[in-house]
Amino acid sequence: MHQGGGSETEVTWEDQQNINKFGRLNNRFHELEDEIKIAKETNESLEDASNELILTDEEVVRFQIGEVFAHVPKEEVESRIEDMKEVTSKNVEKLEEEKDSVVAQMAELKKILYGKFKDSINLEEE
Amino acid sequence: MASPSSSSMVTERRGIPGAQFVEDVQTYLTQLGLDVNSALAFLQERLQQYKLVEMKLLAQQRDLQAKIPDIEKCLDVVATLQAKKGTGEALITDFEISEGIYSRACIDDSDSVCLWLGANVMLEYSCEEATALLQKNLDNAKASLEVLVADLQFLRDQVTITQVTIARVYNWDVHQRRIHQAAAATKD
Repeated sequence: MHQGGGSETEVTWEDQQNINKFGRLNNRFHELEDEIKIAKETNESLEDASNELILTDEEVVRFQIGEVFAHVPKEEVESRIEDMKEVTSKNVEKLEEEKDSVVAQMAELKKILYGKFKDSINLEEE
Repeated sequence: MASPSSSSMVTERRGIPGAQFVEDVQTYLTQLGLDVNSALAFLQERLQQYKLVEMKLLAQQRDLQAKIPDIEKCLDVVATLQAKKGTGEALITDFEISEGIYSRACIDDSDSVCLWLGANVMLEYSCEEATALLQKNLDNAKASLEVLVADLQFLRDQVTITQVTIARVYNWDVHQRRIHQAAAATKD
């Protein structure tokens, strides 16, 4: 991430803090991408589940609670899945928002750091 | 490693030594009393130590991140049992006896559940007590995870500072050599 050609640009404590912050944001960005992927997959599974429910004509559905499958009436399963879908959708929204904010902050820091260090610093993804 | 050259900096956190921020490379090297190569070697070694600690913390983080959904599942089950209590119906569930083999269980109204505490110990609790205990465990796990994440952030900052210091010492050295070469060239 840090290269140099023997230049003498001084690095101040503020610069160091900016670099640290960029590192932290970059880590958080990757974590968020993973979390968003998992949340979207969960949402899809819930969609599939509710579609299956519509198709089935059984009155009692085996719904997973903890490690076991409890026998639950169809209507209750439907409403539970609806609730779970809402929770995951809100979660995805929240994560996407955080991701946008992180990307914006990283862009700001890039401007500042490239402005001061130009070629002496590399902030791109390997 | 006490030095007045870094202002508002934490010198260590829970056993992780803080990386000293270098204001000026020349002063830093004189302070350490090392030549460039020794300083670089010292910094590299520090970096390795940080990496080791990072591995340890990441493993702890993975463990906690696995534990939390487990506790949440247990809370779910206890809540379901409690909900069924008033109705007088039995809860029918299919559970796994062995890989791929399931059996049906009929769980009657009960006021108590048994919780596995680890070390081959299982204790019986009332539903309310069980919920309270599980909730407490969940809160503790989440709090530990928060502290761990903060530790990792601190550690990563120290790694970044050390990497930047290594780059700066190296660049300073290259710069010095160029100056001496230029000086030697003009003498001749």
